[in-house]
Amino acid sequence: MSRLIARRLAAAIVVAWGVATLAFLLVQAVPGRAFDELALQGVPPHAAERLRVLFGADRPFAVRYIDWILGLLRGDLGYSLQLRRPVGALVAEALGNTLVLTGLALTVQVALGVALGCATALSRSRWIDRVSSGAAALVYSFPSFWMGLLLVAAFSIALPWLPVSQMRSIDAEGAGTLARFGDALRHLVLPCAALALPMAAGMSLYVRDEMRAALSRPYVAAARARGAGRARVGIVHALRSTLLPVAQIVGLSIQGVVAGSVVVEVLFAWPGMGRLAYDALLARDEPLVLACTLVGAIAVVLGGLAADVASALCDPRFAAERR
Amino acid sequence: MRPVAAVVLALALAGPLLAPRDAAGDEDPAGARYLPPLTRGYVVSLRSGGSRVLTSLTRTSGGWTGRRAGAPVFFEDGEVAGAPVSRVYPLGTDGLGRDLLDRMLRGARHSVLVAGAGVAVALFLGVLVGTAAGLARPSGDAILMRLTDVLLATPRFLVYLLCAALFGPSTLLVVVVVGLTTWPSLARLVRASTRALRGQEGVLAARAAGCSPARLVVRHLLPALEPMVAVTAALRFADTIRLEAALSFLGVGSPPPAVSLGAIVASGRGVLGDAWWVAAWPGIAIAVLVLAVRSAVARPARLAEPPSVA
Repeated sequence: MSRLIARRLAAAIVVAWGVATLAFLLVQAVPGRAFDELALQGVPPHAAERLRVLFGADRPFAVRYIDWILGLLRGDLGYSLQLRRPVGALVAEALGNTLVLTGLALTVQVALGVALGCATALSRSRWIDRVSSGAAALVYSFPSFWMGLLLVAAFSIALPWLPVSQMRSIDAEGAGTLARFGDALRHLVLPCAALALPMAAGMSLYVRDEMRAALSRPYVAAARARGAGRARVGIVHALRSTLLPVAQIVGLSIQGVVAGSVVVEVLFAWPGMGRLAYDALLARDEPLVLACTLVGAIAVVLGGLAADVASALCDPRFAAERR
Repeated sequence: MRPVAAVVLALALAGPLLAPRDAAGDEDPAGARYLPPLTRGYVVSLRSGGSRVLTSLTRTSGGWTGRRAGAPVFFEDGEVAGAPVSRVYPLGTDGLGRDLLDRMLRGARHSVLVAGAGVAVALFLGVLVGTAAGLARPSGDAILMRLTDVLLATPRFLVYLLCAALFGPSTLLVVVVVGLTTWPSLARLVRASTRALRGQEGVLAARAAGCSPARLVVRHLLPALEPMVAVTAALRFADTIRLEAALSFLGVGSPPPAVSLGAIVASGRGVLGDAWWVAAWPGIAIAVLVLAVRSAVARPARLAEPPSVA
């Protein structure tokens, strides 16, 4: 177990280093763009040259690379050209908001997906299975931005219950703690649902298939033969072996959550990483987009790592197989 | 479900041929603005050039009266060139008076072509790297697989945003980024199957007979890999349709004049309460495309396919 974690952690570090290197090479492929544009903005050549020296763009390639990696290790992600602030501080502000949104969305995704998938797999009625699987396949096919617009049209426009954007109301500052919490929760509902619903639908399809496969295995029949009830067989026996692939899928779905959070955060004006990346792109703020990409990549790596650890906890054979 | 997928994809590809209007079908942006689905429109061509789209039309003495954009209008016979033509806008019109059905058929083809091109690049690279790693010595295999791991960890949405910041958004960039970030998942699969296959007698015999690596891959490995690779590629294709839609929804995908389904949804975002149909139909079109592709391969697709949102 601890060996598995150590090995996977080492692999994760190698991957993170590889991503940082690729990102560096990509940015270097377009050399000095920000400085080239200074001339267009009317900055005289000698001043532009001084800026180049100030930002270290005149140093040799290898030096800049080592500096970049060492900076990353220190948590120094560079300096935003547009917002004129250190990128690290901007990311620190946005990351918390994104974690609240994506954390809740992931929780809803797993809870709803597993519950719905199990219920569908355990239902004896073919019609419940068909309708539920069909509906899930349909919801899973809609893009999250469209789901978000549908929710806005339903719960903000047709029925004016929930706010359409931002994290808190303008007048919430003076209110009490409880009222502020409620306000934040109301702002969280729609973006979270837009992000979680398509994913939960996909997850439920997956859980349904896994559960069905598990239910047809001999040990389940044996449990039934010993007199275990339907619900007990489903939840105690079949669900356990279903959770192993589910843990892997949750880990792999971080990739999708990262992409979805960009869209949903832009749609709902949620001040998180996705929105930061998008605004940075519109402003052509390269260091900031680069930092957001790296943070996203680290999230994906950590997701894979967490999935492996969870799988090993679920099933000792997993740790043995991966060695 | 394969025939369904084939029909949907054929419709999407044939889109502009089936489109009811010419590309310049927006003859009267102000008059035909935000007409609801199934509205009948009457196109009155004017001698002075251009035309007007009316929502009701009656013949009166010496001319035509009707309503245009909610206001009554009258055209004398002398102003009108030829007889007015009536037409139905089955899905309504957008803010520039363009037929949404026409726009969507164009957008669907764009989505399918861009996603198809991206996945084709990924497929080529994935099979190349996968078979190479599967047939290579352990050291070469390790290097290729570490590279694959690194690329698997790069969130392709953010990679696209980064590249768009560096090079500026374009259709070509979407295809290239999709190609370069999608191949690792295919390569992993191909490598695993190649390793399983390479000890088989047929493959060993081909190698013993002096078969070159390229021929070995094309003639002996690809036929065995085809079903599984096809399923994965189809699922990646469905994901990529959603990715492309999301990018163009955010306005960072293919720039105009390319018509993309996501961009049409975005254009309806501000008028959800008044003209819901602008955002509704293209979103449904995306879902239909994705559902058709996925349902064509649904059953064997359980193998390690993560849910994803683009």
